Amino acid sequence: MLRVSAKATSSEVDLQAINGDADSAAIGIEFGPQLMRFAEAVAMRSRDLPERRVELLEAAGPTALVDAAGVAANFQRMVRIADAIGIPVDDMQAELGQSVRAELGIDRFPSARNSIG
Amino acid sequence: MTAFEYRDDAPYPIRDDIGHEHRAFWQRLAGPGSWWSGKERVAIAKASRGALDCRLCIARKAALSPNAVQGTHDHDGELPEVVVDAAHRIVTDQGRITRSYVEANAASGLSKPAYVELVGIVVAAFSIDEFHRALGLRLEPLPAPQPGDITRYQPAMLSEDIGYVPTVPPDGAVGNEADLWPPMRTANVVRALSLVPEALRDWRAIASAQYLSFAGMQNFVKDEARSLTRMQMELIAGRVSAVNECFY
Repeated sequence: MLRVSAKATSSEVDLQAINGDADSAAIGIEFGPQLMRFAEAVAMRSRDLPERRVELLEAAGPTALVDAAGVAANFQRMVRIADAIGIPVDDMQAELGQSVRAELGIDRFPSARNSIG
Repeated sequence: MTAFEYRDDAPYPIRDDIGHEHRAFWQRLAGPGSWWSGKERVAIAKASRGALDCRLCIARKAALSPNAVQGTHDHDGELPEVVVDAAHRIVTDQGRITRSYVEANAASGLSKPAYVELVGIVVAAFSIDEFHRALGLRLEPLPAPQPGDITRYQPAMLSEDIGYVPTVPPDGAVGNEADLWPPMRTANVVRALSLVPEALRDWRAIASAQYLSFAGMQNFVKDEARSLTRMQMELIAGRVSAVNECFY
């Protein structure tokens, strides 16, 4: 969806931000590194979450911090729904999805079995 | 005190719709569901909170296979072990849940409809807790269970074309399920909990506040009610999914 939203705004993004590369997150996304590090700290339950929270708060402001917390919390849920029910990717043949999966190298994830056997 | 009164104790301006949807879920959590009583539903939410500190879950997470580590979960005995095991795995090790695990649970008394409702409870409660943890807020006390009978409701149309459990097919959002998605416009992640339609309705309601409504998801630039652009939101979504090793 990051690639789709980038296309919708004719923006350039580097998908390696998804894999945790802060320099990549800085390309085309305002406050990208701070947002990426905050999301990562939430998902990893990192001890530096308070610092990441302050970093995002100071960079983007309180409303952005709250919205970011909402999105992170929502996807902590979504990944668990997908994996607990074992649903496959909707369209494995879609060209965009194939290129994104190849770029991110996510075939190694255990839950890939639900889509690619 | 009313639950989720963020104005009283949050250091940040939390949107009213977030508090509204969190309160609404807490109310539904306390009451009887399709397959679990109010008491059981609250106990499942409590089990989801205990998963992160469970010694068996920590040992299993570190093991090459979750089946390599045997034992019992840390819990208060309010729920059967098979139920606690499912609730804990969904929180701590969801990527290694398999069809055979869900089938074995069904043979052990945790039916597929009950499992789907359990998934819905665990992920909703966990997500609300995660919102609090992300912002450094105290966790909301769980609600007091309410009496009432379970409905044992199942949709009329079901198929077994995706996932480990039956789901409503894309053309099955009709009759009592007509509100689940627009005709033939759905996705597997939306269908996932549809064996228990109320679980999907909870999913949708919480997502509409924490993330975007179904209609809002069609806007790939920026939702007027959000301070983040869609690209910023999808960066967060993608990074959270990658940390969780979610292929979907």
